[in-house]
Amino acid sequence: MVASNIIAKPVRGFGGFYAMALDTFVAIFKPPFAWREFISQSWFVARVSIVPTLMLTIPYTVLLTFTFNILLTEFGAADFSGTGAALGTVRQIGPIVTVLVVAGAGATAMCADLGARTIREELDALRVMGVNPIQALVVPRVLAATLVSLALAATVILVGLAGAYLFCVYIQHVSPGAFAAGLTLIIGAADVTIALAKAALFGLSAGMIACYKGISVGGGPAGVGNAVNETVVFTFMALFAINVVATAVAVKVTM
Amino acid sequence: MAEPWNRVGRQTKFYGNTLRSIYHAVTTYRIELIRQIAAMGLGAGALIVIGGTVAIVGFLTVTTGALVAVQGYTDFSEIGVEALTGFASAFFNVRLIAPATTAVALSATIGAGATAQLGAMRINEEIDALEVMGVRSVAYLASTRVLAGLLVVIPLYCVGVLASFWAAKFGTTVLYGQSIGVYDHYFRTFLNPTDLLWSFLQCIVLAVVIMLVHTYYGYTARGGPAGVGEAVGRAVRASLILAAFVLVMMSLAVHGQSGNFNLAG
Repeated sequence: MVASNIIAKPVRGFGGFYAMALDTFVAIFKPPFAWREFISQSWFVARVSIVPTLMLTIPYTVLLTFTFNILLTEFGAADFSGTGAALGTVRQIGPIVTVLVVAGAGATAMCADLGARTIREELDALRVMGVNPIQALVVPRVLAATLVSLALAATVILVGLAGAYLFCVYIQHVSPGAFAAGLTLIIGAADVTIALAKAALFGLSAGMIACYKGISVGGGPAGVGNAVNETVVFTFMALFAINVVATAVAVKVTM
Repeated sequence: MAEPWNRVGRQTKFYGNTLRSIYHAVTTYRIELIRQIAAMGLGAGALIVIGGTVAIVGFLTVTTGALVAVQGYTDFSEIGVEALTGFASAFFNVRLIAPATTAVALSATIGAGATAQLGAMRINEEIDALEVMGVRSVAYLASTRVLAGLLVVIPLYCVGVLASFWAAKFGTTVLYGQSIGVYDHYFRTFLNPTDLLWSFLQCIVLAVVIMLVHTYYGYTARGGPAGVGEAVGRAVRASLILAAFVLVMMSLAVHGQSGNFNLAG
């Protein structure tokens, strides 16, 4: 009995998540669409994510470019640091920093908000009033997370490339023309599109996990804290796993 | 105008207080310290079911280590040097991927957990009750967690580094079919033990920084249950940013001068 309970809880959780995901997809296409909530949530997630995005992209891009340049200088190929920076930023740093920011900033905020509403029984009150909380609250949040992730990934790539340029040219004394010329050597439109598609997937999953954890919270304030903690963990795990799979697919596609 | 600076000042004062109280944590609250180490290593609540912090760190480093195999092998094979994927694993996993991913995993698991627990205790007024009972709350709650994080990160980082090495090797040799001998030869040639030790030091410093930030945000949470969630969110953001900056600064300090890397001889 004990063993089956230990297995039952995560399986039940997974099942509940799947059920809510299906409900959300169906509710996206059902009128009325919660426009006001969608716009205000988009603005909220963007507001909460913009500064962490900038502050996270620059160190990671600098670190990656610096590590790559150590290698390239050994070859005498320091002029290709632009290629290395573009490769790293567009293919990996862009999606990963988006994951960190969307999961760490956006998802926690959504989960905390919905969790607080759930333990105040606000969602039950909505149901009593005949409003579907999935349609009114979850759908706009999931779509807002997707939209903002897309925008975030673009920002990360731009800021990352700019930061790498400044680091390479002014601190490692690479020639600026060589850096700029090397940017498009390997990375093309296909890679950028794939990076944006990855980011949209991340936003979708992070939004869903955050909303599910928010509406299934229980146990008072400690429960909300635990739900936010679990949101962060599960979102990171899911998004990193999606990243590997998407990278493998992208590699095949751009071969 | 002065409020952000005052906030920074208050945080720094709290960090100084926490670090200073580590002495009390070790002498008076040893049982709490050991309990924290156990809770952090294997997780608490729902995280136990998925294997705790160890499993999460391992899983995340596997997914990022696998990127070396997937991306590295295909990019290298475009110029015909796919044999060097072992080198890429030894170089990038040690210097960049394992510390960064472990820091992120730490922040998400034990960091967010600490903020959630302390935040819930704060708004239930349990911290005030502790103070009334004469327990040094900063030492009992924050310093024990910081010290426990420092101790726990060493085996956790071992797991992380090994997992990333394994993932890169598995991806290259099993999925892409490279010969194990070739992979191992280049991996062993370029695996630098000094680099590995430096990355351990980086991870320890990162763990201390992350736990300090998270315990601060948990200790000073307010505003009911929504406030706890908001504190966790803010703490995760702040610790990720700080961890990234600390990692960059330490990497530049250690490897900045010469790179500590010799491809030929």
